[in-house]
Amino acid sequence: MKGRTASRADTQDTIAAIITPPGEGGIAAVRVAGSKSRSVLARHFSAKHSDDAEPHPFLMRLGYFKSLDGEILDEVMAVFMPEGRSYTGLEQIEIFCHGGRQVVKKILDEILKGDIRAAEPGEFTRLAFENGRIDLSRAEAVAEIIAAETEVSYRASREHLLGNYSEHIDMLRTELIGVLSEVEASIDFTEDAPEVGADSRKLLILVDSLVTKLSALAETYRGGRIISEGYTIVIGGRPNAGKSSLFNLLLRKERALVTPTPGTTRDYLLERIDLDGYTVNLIDTAGLRQGGGKIEREGQRLAKGMIAKADLVIWVVDLSKQNWAKLLTLDIESLGSAHILLLGNKIDIVKKAASLSLSASQKIIGASCKTGIGLSKLHREIVGRIEKSMPDLTSGLVVTSARHRQKLKESIRHLRLARTKIEGSVSPELVAYDLRTAVSSLGEITGKVYTEQVLGRIFSRFCIGK
Amino acid sequence: MKTEDKQGMKTHTADFDIVVIGGGHAGVEAALAAVRMGRRAAIVTMDPQKLALMSCNPAIGGIGKSQLVKEVDALGGLMGVATDGTGIQFRRLNLSRGPAVWSTRAQADRIGYNAFVVEYVAKQKNLEVIDGVAGEILVDSGRAIGVRLEDGRSVSARAVVVASGTFLGGLIHIGEKHFPAGRIGEQAAYQLSESFRALGFEISRLKTGTPPRLDGRTIDWSVCEIQPGDEPIPFFSSRSRRGSFTQTPCHLTATSEKTREIIDANKHRSPIFSGQITSRGPRYCPSIEDKFHRFADKPKHHIFLEPEGNGTDEVYPNGFSTALPEEVQREAIRTVIGLEGVTVTRPGYAVEYDYCPSHQIKPSLETRRIQGLFFAGQINGTSGYEEAAAQGIMAGINAALYCVNEPAFILDRSEAYIGVMIDDLITRSITEPYRMFTSRAEYRLALREDNARDRLNHHARRLGLISDAESDLFLKLDSDTRVTVALLAKTRVKVADLNRLSSQLKKRDSLTLAELIRQPDLELNELLPVLVRHTDGQRDGMESLERAAIQIRYQGYIDKQQREIDRYKKLEHDRIPSDFVFQSVHGLKTEAREKLSRFRPVSVGQAGRIEGVTPSDMAVLSVYLKRHRETARADK
Ligand SMILES: Cc1cc2nc3c(=O)[nH]c(=O)nc-3n(C[C@H](O)[C@H](O)[C@H](O)COP(=O)(O)OP(=O)(O)OC[C@H]3O[C@@H](n4cnc5c(N)ncnc54)[C@H](O)[C@@H]3O)c2cc1C
Ligand SMILES: Nc1nc2c(ncn2[C@@H]2O[C@H](COP(=O)(O)OP(=O)(O)OP(=O)(O)O)[C@@H](O)[C@H]2O)c(=O)[nH]1
Ligand SMILES: [Mg+2]
Repeated sequence: MKGRTASRADTQDTIAAIITPPGEGGIAAVRVAGSKSRSVLARHFSAKHSDDAEPHPFLMRLGYFKSLDGEILDEVMAVFMPEGRSYTGLEQIEIFCHGGRQVVKKILDEILKGDIRAAEPGEFTRLAFENGRIDLSRAEAVAEIIAAETEVSYRASREHLLGNYSEHIDMLRTELIGVLSEVEASIDFTEDAPEVGADSRKLLILVDSLVTKLSALAETYRGGRIISEGYTIVIGGRPNAGKSSLFNLLLRKERALVTPTPGTTRDYLLERIDLDGYTVNLIDTAGLRQGGGKIEREGQRLAKGMIAKADLVIWVVDLSKQNWAKLLTLDIESLGSAHILLLGNKIDIVKKAASLSLSASQKIIGASCKTGIGLSKLHREIVGRIEKSMPDLTSGLVVTSARHRQKLKESIRHLRLARTKIEGSVSPELVAYDLRTAVSSLGEITGKVYTEQVLGRIFSRFCIGK
Repeated sequence: MKTEDKQGMKTHTADFDIVVIGGGHAGVEAALAAVRMGRRAAIVTMDPQKLALMSCNPAIGGIGKSQLVKEVDALGGLMGVATDGTGIQFRRLNLSRGPAVWSTRAQADRIGYNAFVVEYVAKQKNLEVIDGVAGEILVDSGRAIGVRLEDGRSVSARAVVVASGTFLGGLIHIGEKHFPAGRIGEQAAYQLSESFRALGFEISRLKTGTPPRLDGRTIDWSVCEIQPGDEPIPFFSSRSRRGSFTQTPCHLTATSEKTREIIDANKHRSPIFSGQITSRGPRYCPSIEDKFHRFADKPKHHIFLEPEGNGTDEVYPNGFSTALPEEVQREAIRTVIGLEGVTVTRPGYAVEYDYCPSHQIKPSLETRRIQGLFFAGQINGTSGYEEAAAQGIMAGINAALYCVNEPAFILDRSEAYIGVMIDDLITRSITEPYRMFTSRAEYRLALREDNARDRLNHHARRLGLISDAESDLFLKLDSDTRVTVALLAKTRVKVADLNRLSSQLKKRDSLTLAELIRQPDLELNELLPVLVRHTDGQRDGMESLERAAIQIRYQGYIDKQQREIDRYKKLEHDRIPSDFVFQSVHGLKTEAREKLSRFRPVSVGQAGRIEGVTPSDMAVLSVYLKRHRETARADK
């Protein structure tokens, strides 16, 4: 359990991480190294041109990155490098996307859903060095790079810009060690103090409380992403509803093409804006409807993907259409669980303003992109939604790194396994196995190694010793 | 020894290959291992009649410690055999906690055990016991070449093992009184301590304690809870041939409200509280005054009444270690339930002694400072007979290998509790006497009593610690076990036939025995009778049946743990040469640099276990090491 924090990737582990520095725009890239890299391409990449279907070493291929559910996340370039000839010396792939920081993170998240581990800080460079891909004479420099990367990563968790994140993790870890020490005491000290024995009801309560806390922390990953990557608003709706008009208004410039012809917007458009201090990724999409040409259908598919991943969808409804309410009811069903804000557009040409609400819970904001009516209300509503989805900043606890999230999830998974075992009265050595694994997963976030803390806890809590 | 009558002694040969200082549990195992490997050895000890005497609790094994005994046994050591041969009660602990932590504990016969070892040692060829007090390590250009005794004699040897126990600078405390002694009634060793200081060793102090002994004829046993031994008797060693015998029970009692009052009123007179003792004692073995002090809300404490042997009436009140003045001890012990009229035969006491903080030794137990000088047992800051024996056997083996210039024998953390212990010793600052616990082993599920020989048999055979015949016996057991595993995998039973267990298996009609074994909520020890019934198991096949069942039970975990072990080994194999200069590595943080220079880890993995060494230090280190290796290769 100890000393694993800086484990170098053994050949069995395939690892992945974003390799481009955070910053505005430009191209971002994800690297995957290890024997399972190619399977990532098979799972997530579909080439745009059929003669590109098979990966050739060092050949950049254009295509789409798909999530496991088959949704397209972005148009990407992918390159495959065989073992012995890559940066790390391992079989390796790199995926470049232009969707910015947020999309690249989503791509990494998708990749990590497979049997792939988030790379430890400095790990790629270390591998490159170990596998003879970096000149020995550069050892000092390499050591410095690795040390710096590792330091920065652990320090980032230590002095997280949002507060005492690492203290919080350490606190949870200490709490977890407390649970573990109850179980360990019931193994190591039954002889000395027969009354020492983990009460399983108490253990379950402790484990549950930890799972809740860790899950809450893991959940902030979304919120953390919003802070570091911005809040994503997708403007969706039927063709000709006025989506692009709204997009331009919020952007304060004529960015999207606006015409009376339905199906004007085909590809999606993304712009970063500042809304009352919040960074917002604003996306205009192709209108959704049955049918349409091949290109339009492709655009619609992209739009659906965007909608599913959005933090907020502004669904634009053309109120000048007679049957808008009926269509909307249908649309809402197909939208599923996305966070939606309904905007009734073109209120300026609606004769009698009938009741705008579909139901008590589904209010529609009436507005006009032509006259500007209702837009300030929309603005307030959007900001309200952003504020609501922001993590509680006063506690300062936000997970922003995919690696940290993965460790938290690992920890939670083992706590759940331990829970099942405690409930099923499985022997404590096996419960301890899972709890130990959970402890070391947390330790790997802040670079803490297992020490004698468990024994320390036992001796201070129980009167041990015949 | 410089005696004239040695036949054919050449001028430059040493008297012995190995000389061992101290005939305690460590010293005896060290000498025996060396002799088994064909070396000539001597034990210099203060009293040849007190070989392997138990200073304290007359018990061998227990949780975490029994695993050490089984490992010593698998390496051909004596402790298991001696315990089996003379023990008066045997129990298996932790049966409901899972087979990885099943532990054997024996109540030993203090005198019987000691006599068994004296007799065994006397029978050994090439092993001499020298009556004397070692006063100085003789060193020539950085190598140990023998020992000078306090009376002026000297013994030359090619390697020296120091196993001097609690005797170095020993100081006994009873209440306000204190006087030099190694154990009560035995002298301390002062000159030897001085010799270590003169050689430049860092020396520090620890403390331990023991309870008073009681006359069993004055105890009211009727009010105590009886603790009988287990049947069939769980012996330690496969080499033992002792049959069934009538076991002597232990008893359990407790302190009373009055005990607390007396202790509280006199606490200030205990050297532990008066400031007379400043060194650290073991937290897991507190004195009774410490227990009442630290756990003030606990109204009473358990006291185990353990017989010291069959030929004596002396009883050891386990849990009543104390250094209070004698008269207070007497008064307080008489408030324990059943001890109201008890006679105290010997008072309890605390003892402070010197030890050499263990960053000064290598994984082979050889000291860094002096070649051919090995440390084992209490001198390394450990406590306990089993811990001592385990280090003793390793020191003996390595001293024997050293004599013939062969590489050291080192067990790692994934192979043995012995490996865990020695690695802990060399990567940590030991601030309290170190005792083994199963929780110290990260690969606990793989390090079990039942598979000690699976892990160590091949080593023992290769090193010549056990005979080929003995090793073959194990290989036979191993192949029997495999046959049994196969049998369990194909034998089907009807759930309806499982009686009591069937209620927990509602969902199915029948299953194989292997599937039954894998049911996590069924306790394996309760399953064993069922397995016996369904495999026509005779008593002979019991061991392979139990082994097979445990293997099946753990297979999934072992597979998972194997990956962790592989990763661990990779870091362990990233070796740090002994001449590596940590000071010259840029990029290490100051704390890491200091700690690394102090503990001198032999691998990057070991470096990572040192407190204060961070993952980034490990990364830097491994980069530098690679370059160090490559340039060394290029130079050749
Ligand atoms: C008071 C007391 C209480 C203890 N309580 C416990 C306990 O509760 N549980 C537990 O597990 N352990 C306990 N121990 C520890 C246990 O006794 C030791 O850990 C164990 O015996 C150490 O083994 P060893 O071989 O290192 O040394 P020892 O068993 O101490 O043997 C050392 C031997 O070396 C000889 N010797 C020493 N110096 C010299 C010299 N200069 N020249 C020649 N011969 C020398 C001595 O005569 C002795 O025979 C206690 C020890 C003491 C003294
Ligand atoms: N009267 C009125 N016309 C509007 C309003 N908003 C948009 N329009 C008009 O509606 C038409 C379609 O607007 P777009 O913004 O292109 O609509 P869209 O939803 O982006 O359409 P597609 O991209 O084709 O899906 C244009 O002719 C706009 O001028 C409004 O509030 N009032
Ligand atoms: Mg448009």
